Amino acid sequence: MNTVARIALGAWELNPIVLLACVLAVGAFATKFRSRARWKYFVAALGITLFALLSPLNALADGVLFSAHMAQHLLLLLVMPALFLLSLPRDFKLRIPGGGRLAIFGWAAGVGSMCFWHVPVFCDAAATRPAVHAFQACSLVVMGAAFWWPILAPSSPERLAPGFGIVYLFTACLACTALGIVLTLTPIEVCPVFRAPLAASSWANLRERIGATQDREIGGLLMWLPMCLVYLSAIIVEVGRWLAVPTKSGEDRHEIA
Amino acid sequence: MNPASTFSTATAPEYLSVEERAHWRLAWLSTVDHKRIGILYLLFALVFFVIGGLEALFIRLQLAVPNNTLVPPDTFNALFTMHGTTMIFLVAMPALFGLANYFVPLMIGARDMAFPRLNALSVWLIPFGGALLHFSVFTGVPKAGWFAYAPLSETPYNSSLGVDYWILALIVLGIGSVATAINLIATILCLRAPGMTLRRVPLFVWINFVNAFIVIFALPLLNAGLVMLLMDRQLGTHFFMAREGGSPVLWQHIFWAFGHPEVYILALPAFGIISEVVPVFSRKPIFGYEFVAVSSVAIALLSFGVWAHHMFTVGLGHVADTFFVIASMLIAIPTGVKVLNWSATMFRGRIRMTVPMMYATAFIIQFTLGGLSGVTHASAALDWQTKNSYYLVAHFHYVAVGGIVFAILAGLHYWFPKMSGRMLSERLGRWTFWCMVLGFNGTFAIQHVLGFAGMPRRVYTYPDFPNWGWMNFVSTCGACLMGVAAVLLVANLLWSFFRGAAAGDNPWNAWTLEWATTSPPPAHNFEALPPIHSRRPLWDNANPGRPDPPVGPDAILSPDRSKTSMWTLIASEAAFFGALILVFVYFNIRPLPGPNAKNSLELGKTAIFSLCLFASSFTLWRAEIAERNRRRRGMISWLALTIGLGAVFMIGQGFEYWGLYRSGVTVSANLFASTFFLLTGFHGFHVTAGLVALAVVLGLATGGDYRNRASPLEAIGLYWHFVDVVWVFVLTTVYLLPRFL
Repeated sequence: MNTVARIALGAWELNPIVLLACVLAVGAFATKFRSRARWKYFVAALGITLFALLSPLNALADGVLFSAHMAQHLLLLLVMPALFLLSLPRDFKLRIPGGGRLAIFGWAAGVGSMCFWHVPVFCDAAATRPAVHAFQACSLVVMGAAFWWPILAPSSPERLAPGFGIVYLFTACLACTALGIVLTLTPIEVCPVFRAPLAASSWANLRERIGATQDREIGGLLMWLPMCLVYLSAIIVEVGRWLAVPTKSGEDRHEIA
Repeated sequence: MNPASTFSTATAPEYLSVEERAHWRLAWLSTVDHKRIGILYLLFALVFFVIGGLEALFIRLQLAVPNNTLVPPDTFNALFTMHGTTMIFLVAMPALFGLANYFVPLMIGARDMAFPRLNALSVWLIPFGGALLHFSVFTGVPKAGWFAYAPLSETPYNSSLGVDYWILALIVLGIGSVATAINLIATILCLRAPGMTLRRVPLFVWINFVNAFIVIFALPLLNAGLVMLLMDRQLGTHFFMAREGGSPVLWQHIFWAFGHPEVYILALPAFGIISEVVPVFSRKPIFGYEFVAVSSVAIALLSFGVWAHHMFTVGLGHVADTFFVIASMLIAIPTGVKVLNWSATMFRGRIRMTVPMMYATAFIIQFTLGGLSGVTHASAALDWQTKNSYYLVAHFHYVAVGGIVFAILAGLHYWFPKMSGRMLSERLGRWTFWCMVLGFNGTFAIQHVLGFAGMPRRVYTYPDFPNWGWMNFVSTCGACLMGVAAVLLVANLLWSFFRGAAAGDNPWNAWTLEWATTSPPPAHNFEALPPIHSRRPLWDNANPGRPDPPVGPDAILSPDRSKTSMWTLIASEAAFFGALILVFVYFNIRPLPGPNAKNSLELGKTAIFSLCLFASSFTLWRAEIAERNRRRRGMISWLALTIGLGAVFMIGQGFEYWGLYRSGVTVSANLFASTFFLLTGFHGFHVTAGLVALAVVLGLATGGDYRNRASPLEAIGLYWHFVDVVWVFVLTTVYLLPRFL
């Protein structure tokens, strides 16, 4: 069996805290919302969480590969919270006052967490100390949810108006593009721990094969392109949602002149 | 309806009012009317189209046979450089801006553009830029290609002033384009007629709106790069010279970060034209308005994330290549959606094959071909084989000529009756069309094969390899046929302008508002507007019994135009400063030997005069409040204090510059010094501009004149706050981060 397959199958870690948290989350979600919830999104969010925290991706993010760290980052900050918000019932409201100011907080939370966790000291700490890593994971999910709330809140009055929503997402894309460009094109090391020597193992081999520079580039490019593509897709959905005009069923919309 | 029935009721058009006849030259030179400005744009485009077309003909004549000596190598380099630059910046952009200028206000039921005088400035910057570019004929023409790759475009390899004039011309044209884009955004957001909600605007308007955003973000990137190249050439800096630590690849990044969106700056308005022409001549509303609109947004956004596909052969590494291959291929999706929309609109329509529709149909086919060869270029592996071959030349000409030029011609033939009041000759038009189609495909289809056979682009001649000779000859024949088409087009325009049949208001029986007024429209555009409840108001008007279903509510939101334009300008300036800050980070991420941020900059002094700048934002805010509360004296005092604080900041910066200069840290000392002076210098320039604007407001306020006008303070205040925010980023990047990283 080759290295990749061995890692994919063998390095799953059944972390009891994560499993317990997920079981509790399912229980709480089911009790609160029952059939009103959109379960397919919830199951997807759960699946992403389990994949990000239990699969070999998590092990690789613990000081082996910067790119794996970044992939985990994206899943927890962007994908999982978005799916979770989509899974809430349509009549769910947070009833937090603040409107526009809340959006500024959400934007700062989303972009800020991306910057904060890439300050070398914090990045290294998260990659080497399990407690900090756990805190990082939680903070990413919460910050991600705060970021997505003004866009994906289940009830439309709690969302940003489409024009502002587009600016919100576009500027977030610009911010992560700038960070991604710096990570990809400059020799800066935001997480030096990923360059620290590893004891001889299959993962050390994997890191050897990928190479330090490529690893850093993949990390930077993940932040630059896929992350922006998520924001851009959200912008497109936003514009589409705004343009879509409900037409009466059965009515012939237009006639040929 | 038979178009002829409209002609019979029409009278010969009036181009000038009675009082203008005595001074018609001045009436055109000093015009601020969007329609005349639109026509000026088109005329300038036509003049440069002839120039750029002749350059292309000389290129093709030189390549007609192997080992030809018609044009010497240096002249050949100059020809393809000028041809590319002219066609993109002086033909395609002005032509598309011209059509947008003329028809966007008409289509949304507005009287003019939001800022008519700014509009006039933009249009006159075209001949100014064109003159600068062509002045290089006297100094040595630029020979570095239209993308002026460094270090070829640097002084050691292009020592004449040609490249400098090229840079100046492009900066001038870039500023004009950004001004036009800001004007279009403000017009579309602020001047729509009652009922013309953003969901109901014609697709041409919608797409130009989206496109204007690409312009305001892409052109500043080019301008940032051009300034750096000019500094390299004139001030002795080394941004793009590898030997001195600069990076030629950085030029490619900056150029293509502009250059790829530029492709869509040209293509999107073309899509807009086709989205108007195809429905009218298929006698059906556009299929999937929402899809065309949303896919335009998708194209605009994606266009900024894929520039590196122009750089696969540079050596970015397999990883970067792979990411950009995927991102580039994604663009095919929204573009494909559009092709599907147009085809579905034609499907089962009652198609009228008029000349505009013929051009539109040819556009759809040719653009799809160009798009497909584009997808092949998005694959890095294939791109390595075909890069800089004639296959690439064929690809982008299928997009630029087969696509964009054909769309412009479709638009010209469609709207000429509205602009001139007379119909173009259909017969001459059909001759032109077939010459154009045969000429175009004759020229470029065979170049795909030539590229695969190994012929590189930009070679002034070639040996007599098997099959190269006859294929090149066919290509040259095609180019000559296109030349014939161009002559026929000009003849048709001239003849029809004087002798064409009168057009009437709505010769094509179309549905958008520009056809609801006379041809040409009066200075104020409309006597009365029809009610607007759907996307085809004229259809509703003509068919009251079976109108289109109303689209959304009627209420429209018209934001304040000066604030809208200021926010748009700020977005554009943010892109400019964003590029400069990234350049600073790129070169200074590790402290450079010699002067650097740690050993040359004094944080303490800078912090003090920075505080003055930040305080000036506070005082300006107080001035705004005083103005809102109608306390004139308070407003004047706060404003004067703001100007004082701003001036202190500038004096502080002046002292800092003087200190650096005395210790030998000049702009050419090393890359730290170059990037430092570039970034802080442009910021200082913007502060100075802000000070001038605030001083004008202060002068107006103290003179008392100001009370009778709409207040400019809030809009200018926005700009001032923006300049302060930029300084937060500059301070962090230049003074703070290098101390801690």
